[in-house]
Amino acid sequence: MPHRRWSILLWSLALAANSAALYMVFLYAPVEVQMGAVQKIFYYHVPSAIACYVLLFLAFLFSALYLWREEPLYDHLAHSAAEVGWVFITLVLVTGPIWGHSAWGKWWVWEPRLTSFLILWLTYSAYFLLRLFSRGDARAAKIAAVVAIVAFFDVPIVHKAISWWGSIVHPRKVVLEPAMRWTFFAGLASVFLLAAALFLTRFDIQRAEALRAEKEEWA
Amino acid sequence: MRFIKVVAVLFLKDFREELRRKEDVAASFLFALLSLVLFAFALDPTRVDLNETGSGLLWLVVLFAGSLFMSGSFRKETENGTLYALLLSPCDRGALYVGKFLLNFLFLLALEALLLLFAYLLLDFRVSDGLPALGAVWALVTFGYAAVGTLFSALLAQVRGGHVIFPILLFPILVPLVIAAATLTEQALSPGFSWGNQWLRLVGLFDILFFTASVFLFEFAVEE
Repeated sequence: MPHRRWSILLWSLALAANSAALYMVFLYAPVEVQMGAVQKIFYYHVPSAIACYVLLFLAFLFSALYLWREEPLYDHLAHSAAEVGWVFITLVLVTGPIWGHSAWGKWWVWEPRLTSFLILWLTYSAYFLLRLFSRGDARAAKIAAVVAIVAFFDVPIVHKAISWWGSIVHPRKVVLEPAMRWTFFAGLASVFLLAAALFLTRFDIQRAEALRAEKEEWA
Repeated sequence: MRFIKVVAVLFLKDFREELRRKEDVAASFLFALLSLVLFAFALDPTRVDLNETGSGLLWLVVLFAGSLFMSGSFRKETENGTLYALLLSPCDRGALYVGKFLLNFLFLLALEALLLLFAYLLLDFRVSDGLPALGAVWALVTFGYAAVGTLFSALLAQVRGGHVIFPILLFPILVPLVIAAATLTEQALSPGFSWGNQWLRLVGLFDILFFTASVFLFEFAVEE
């Protein structure tokens, strides 16, 4: 099973990268003067946000491919990408308020970028609700694909609308000193490796489930 | 030409059906009125001025009552097995979508007109000079709402528990429209309203993007 070897390799890489990144976050990168230790969340918060955008784009791409080619493979890929993407949206939503609590003194501030992640989370949660309700339905994959495409187009519009509506903004440009920059890149690499490993594993499970369903149908 | 004719035939069929059945129209109108009354209890109209704060609340009523009506617009066809007849007929699938969309759009406009009337009567919501601007703004927002709503109604028509998922799936997608509606309603009622507004452009983009995408994606959604 060459697939399995890939999976083991990816997981080992993700584990190694995360250990290195965590070491850098806590022991190598200097403590930020104004925000203090809580700023260290940034090394995982921002990469998670980037990873979730990439994964949701993949979910959109595979959904479109599925509608076009109607191969179950693409549906499994889209489903896995959306699911792992959702995990990273959740991570952003959990780490954001932890930082926000010390910066703004409140757990939740209706800050544009955080708010649009909340809407994103709600949108994709509904997508999984749909998957849950339509389990075993032959049309489920197609319906989910259409929803994933519509949801993806909505992302920039939601973002724009919320940024006009809100008032407090994220720092637009962050200048990092070298040690911080390297730590950030380490965080980015480890989050992406973790995302890839999760994605591949989820995809394997997805395929195994489809295979089992097929066999049960035969029996 | 043929496309328009098919759309007209389908629209008139649904229009006549709704007028005869009455149940969905009546349920939706009553729900809207009821929500308005409940808002009065929740807000205390002697202290909260709807004109100054929370004119976007009216849009929430449109959203909830409208989704009640729209979620069933394709379910009716599947319940009676008439969807297959429609799909078998030699007409453009897009026309099927546009026909349903038109009915939903017009229904929502009627609902909004009624809502404005009752908001004036019950909650002293004054539109006066802003009516043309308000009408245009609401029509634009409603267009986008009906476009996505009709598509999702088609998607969920055959899904178990589709009517439960419908609003949960639809409302997050509509967040830009809701924000725009709330902001634009306030702006339309104040004197210095300009048509070059960034919100209007955003709503316009939403309308065009999702209407086109829906006509295109509808074909995939209703395949048997």
